[in-house]
Amino acid sequence: MKDQDPREVSASRRAFLRGIPVLTAAAVALPAPALATHGKHHWAMLVDVRKCIGCQACTVACIQENAVPEGSFRTVVSTYSVKLTDADHPATQPAGTYMLPRLCNHCAEPPCIPVCPVGATFKREDGIVAVDGERCVGCAYCVQACPYDARFINHATNKADKCTFCAHRVDAGLLPACVETCVGGARIFGDLNDPQGELRRRLDAAKAEVKVLKPEQGTEPRVFYIGLDERFQGKVEGQGTLWQPRKAHG
Amino acid sequence: MTPDIVETVNVAREVAWLPWAVQYFFLIGLSYGAYLVSLPGLVFRRCGWEGISRLALLAALVCGLTAPVALLADLHQPGRFWHFYAYFTPSSWMSWGAFFIPVYLTGLILYAWLAFRPALARHAEDGGRLAGLARGLAYGGHESRKALVAAALLAFIGAALVALYTGVEVMLVRARPLWHTPMLPVQFFVTAVAGGLGLALVFNRYLPDGGDPAATRRMAIALALTQCAALLVGAVWLVLGMSGMSPVHAQALAEVAPSANWKVSAVWAAVATVVTLAIALKRPGSGLLIGLLALHSAWMMRWTIFIGGQEVPKTGAGYYSYQLPLGPEGLMGIVGTAGLWIFLFVVLTTLLPLERIGKSGATGA
Ligand code: SF4
Ligand code: SF4
Repeated sequence: MKDQDPREVSASRRAFLRGIPVLTAAAVALPAPALATHGKHHWAMLVDVRKCIGCQACTVACIQENAVPEGSFRTVVSTYSVKLTDADHPATQPAGTYMLPRLCNHCAEPPCIPVCPVGATFKREDGIVAVDGERCVGCAYCVQACPYDARFINHATNKADKCTFCAHRVDAGLLPACVETCVGGARIFGDLNDPQGELRRRLDAAKAEVKVLKPEQGTEPRVFYIGLDERFQGKVEGQGTLWQPRKAHG
Repeated sequence: MTPDIVETVNVAREVAWLPWAVQYFFLIGLSYGAYLVSLPGLVFRRCGWEGISRLALLAALVCGLTAPVALLADLHQPGRFWHFYAYFTPSSWMSWGAFFIPVYLTGLILYAWLAFRPALARHAEDGGRLAGLARGLAYGGHESRKALVAAALLAFIGAALVALYTGVEVMLVRARPLWHTPMLPVQFFVTAVAGGLGLALVFNRYLPDGGDPAATRRMAIALALTQCAALLVGAVWLVLGMSGMSPVHAQALAEVAPSANWKVSAVWAAVATVVTLAIALKRPGSGLLIGLLALHSAWMMRWTIFIGGQEVPKTGAGYYSYQLPLGPEGLMGIVGTAGLWIFLFVVLTTLLPLERIGKSGATGA
């Protein structure tokens, strides 16, 4: 990250870099990183659904970055064909496409944590919900408890697996792979505690429009959405996908 | 009619609690159910129950010893089971369960040992198969009523805790509306007791004389009562769901109502229960048939709840379709536990043949 010139990176990345306390020559020149509340980070993501083009670049980048085994996904862009009413598009086309990037919500009240019988799932100080792979017994109770189908048992490691916000990258001052690669600039990652950061500013600006998935579950997701259609906020009512990833194991 | 929304790309999550888990919940349920059936004859000394209660105790033991193996196999990291004891996590019912199971099994094994000791000694005296081992295990073959009652009490505490945790652990999963109803632990319990009675009836039928007809009838009545309870619980569930009186039940119903598979399962379960009830009342002598029917219902209920429940996507549209894999993740889980069960049954009944266990008043325990 030290080698990167902030001028060359996307808006979201530039904003992110400002929040990193790693002082580099370039960073020192930027406006002082105003890290609020005790200087602690609280990582979160904002997904601007209107900007997602459904290219699945994030899906692929995540698989590559995190060696996710075939048939499993830490993030995916759920894609739906939605019938258009006449009022939307009078007699032009019968259906439109709706894209919804999904990942672990790094909930503030994550139901996946208290159920873990060995305390392997935990929340880091910076808000990232993580799995201690050394401790996990692969009981899959957390998989059941997550209301978002964000978790799965990794068949290569036989442990619980899910999006980590690319904690290894974030700790090194990098953006999560999906954010880095997002073609439409739909994924904005940053520090909720940084009032100057792009994430905070965008959240504050869009206030009323900001939604989360399944708010009624009380999980308080830390992945926020702009442009989230109510019909997709919970379990989607419609015809299920026929495509199933080929199983990578016996 | 084309639906308004068609999902074109999404992830299909696989079931994460495998058929091993179904086997665990089935066997541990049968075990505590059968344990309860052992009490009238062995602890409360109710007249006419001795033989059947001893058979039930054997059933509780065989199932109780098999169940933890299925549970272990359902872990994707079975070698790490000791983590349950090294990292106790009070917020997790599964963590508590890891402590409840040994309490139950310790009580159950002691109780069974104390109950079968005299019979083991007699088996050794008569020069039965594995007489030497039987003599060693009998360890004098004394009857000790106080110790037996104490062990049965320990087993009772364990059984109650196991029944509680197996139900609550699943009920607490709010992310799955089908599981998240206060009725679920009750349904588990009722079908477990019915299954325990069923297995004891099956054992009873295989006694050389086909079992004591009076005992069979008594068991049939008990089984009929469990079927009435099952129907009642099912009806309450449905009414709560359909009337909208209880939002959690309404949600559970809404989740499965559109699925044809689920309708078939529901009708199947209701019909099986009514048929068991009818036969138990009309032909109480048909112990084998109603026993097998009760076992089948207990298993089907768990399969439907666990595997069927995991076929409902939490966010995606429609349903996932589960196909039973043939390997260790699927069929092997069922065949493996069945094999272990049969092995234990054969070993135990070689040491102590069924007819010796089932003989009324054989030990005066
Ligand atoms: S989205 Fe699921 S896995 Fe992620 S923190 Fe929330 S409950 Fe846990
Ligand atoms: S699978 Fe691992 S992380 Fe999940 S509940 Fe079990 S032990 Fe905890």
